Amino acid sequence: MTTTNKAVLLVGTSPLYAELNHLMVERGYQVLSLAEAMAEPELIELAVEVNSVDMQAKKRQVRELDDLLPPNVPIITTSLAITATEVASWTQYPERVCGFGTLVPLIERELIEIAPALQTELDTIQATEDFFQSLGKETETVNDEVGLVFPRILTLIINEAVFTLMEKTATATDIDIAMKKGTNYPYGPLEWADRIGLDEIFAISRGLQRDLAEERYRTAPLLRKLVLAGRVGVRSGQGFYTYEDKVGVEA
Amino acid sequence: MSIKTVGVIGAGTMGAGIALVCARKGHQVMLLDANQAVLDKALVYLESILTKDVEKNKISEQEMTETLELVHLVSEIEQLADCDIVIEAVPERLDLKKSIFSQLSVICREDALLLTNTSSISITEIAGGLSHPERILGFHFFNPAPVMPLVEVIRGKKSSEENVEVAYRFAQELGKVPVLVTDTPGFIVNRIARPYYNEALRVLGDHVAGVEQIDRIMKLAGGFKMGPFELQDMIGIDINFATTKSIYTDFFHEGRFKPSRIQQQMVQSGSLGRKTGEGFYDYNK
Repeated sequence: MTTTNKAVLLVGTSPLYAELNHLMVERGYQVLSLAEAMAEPELIELAVEVNSVDMQAKKRQVRELDDLLPPNVPIITTSLAITATEVASWTQYPERVCGFGTLVPLIERELIEIAPALQTELDTIQATEDFFQSLGKETETVNDEVGLVFPRILTLIINEAVFTLMEKTATATDIDIAMKKGTNYPYGPLEWADRIGLDEIFAISRGLQRDLAEERYRTAPLLRKLVLAGRVGVRSGQGFYTYEDKVGVEA
Repeated sequence: MSIKTVGVIGAGTMGAGIALVCARKGHQVMLLDANQAVLDKALVYLESILTKDVEKNKISEQEMTETLELVHLVSEIEQLADCDIVIEAVPERLDLKKSIFSQLSVICREDALLLTNTSSISITEIAGGLSHPERILGFHFFNPAPVMPLVEVIRGKKSSEENVEVAYRFAQELGKVPVLVTDTPGFIVNRIARPYYNEALRVLGDHVAGVEQIDRIMKLAGGFKMGPFELQDMIGIDINFATTKSIYTDFFHEGRFKPSRIQQQMVQSGSLGRKTGEGFYDYNK
């Protein structure tokens, strides 16, 4: 598939935005904002929407895309905190909506998960796979559920680490050391959360709790409070740890 | 307190590994097991590891001999009377551990530090009702002990801070990386690693993705060295299930720790992972 100058509309406030933008430009895509796309909507061949925290904003943007773009243009949406099926249900053309899920930093993700909605048609799934593969990523198609596989499992690991910290069973540093040295995790769960953004993890946790409605998905209260206090990790200079230079997230 | 003599109770894989870790740092080690065959096997194990070290030029033949001379095989618990520290590494049974610590409480000096290498039993419960519970602490090595750097130093309800500090420094002197934990089910690692297995099983049970898919995703998308199902097969599905059940029970059935029916069925059917040739993957092919 040639990607040269293929026009993609990218919207959303997730930290994925900057990295996807960077990756697409690097691979020869022409990345347009919503305002730019409005001038010439017929140019757009694909739309990517990345909001995972504010569901109202997500709904508004997905509907804007749905109204703006011809019905055959695929809309690829993050299904981290909500199912792709629910996102598709907001649109007039749900068959063109497909979910995906991954977490920053994208440079460390060799694989991106794709989750078609119940309504997604085959051409849309194919376009979604082609798109991520054109960005140099492997793909794995899974069934549509909040958080898909990697973000869901990692969120529960981080949530348990937050409970452990909140209960003062161990310090943040000792928790991270233990998981790296005792079981070879690539990062300690709390430093990992700081790099991804606590707001993103909180959104996934909340989504699981809302959609699956089990005690199992109860969010650690400390995670909620840190997000409310704006301490979302490296991006804000403070999370479970403090960061003097707010570096590390810009792509 | 200067530590010269370390007692290690139980000469299985963990006990023998811990004895080696201590002997390598120059401590006199009293390695205790009631079963002579287990002691013999432990000696063969120690010799095999040290021989490899010699072959790799990590140590000289003389250092190997010196290290082995530091390890004394004993069969009576009374022979641990002069130990400065005793580390218990017997199978995970509360009655067994309680009986050992109640004997140690009588045999050992009052200032001797008594450590348990348990991975799943409450330190507070092991120390409960014994004289001088302030000197009983958890000291959790990871398998294989000579290789894995982590030691969880666990303070029970009645462990003294002074003894926690001694144990912490002792772990550092052994060349390990200690972390401090307050006695809670699963301590740090076994507790926080639970969702890696448990949620993967839930995702499988809900047919969000299959076994190979989940393992592939966790490795390629997540950067984990092994997928959750490969790991369960390696650890032993029965061991993994038992740990989950014990943490679930000890947290009074909190939903986050609820074991998986899929895992239970694997255990019931005798598919325990690599050791039986079949688990989530088939190793007979």
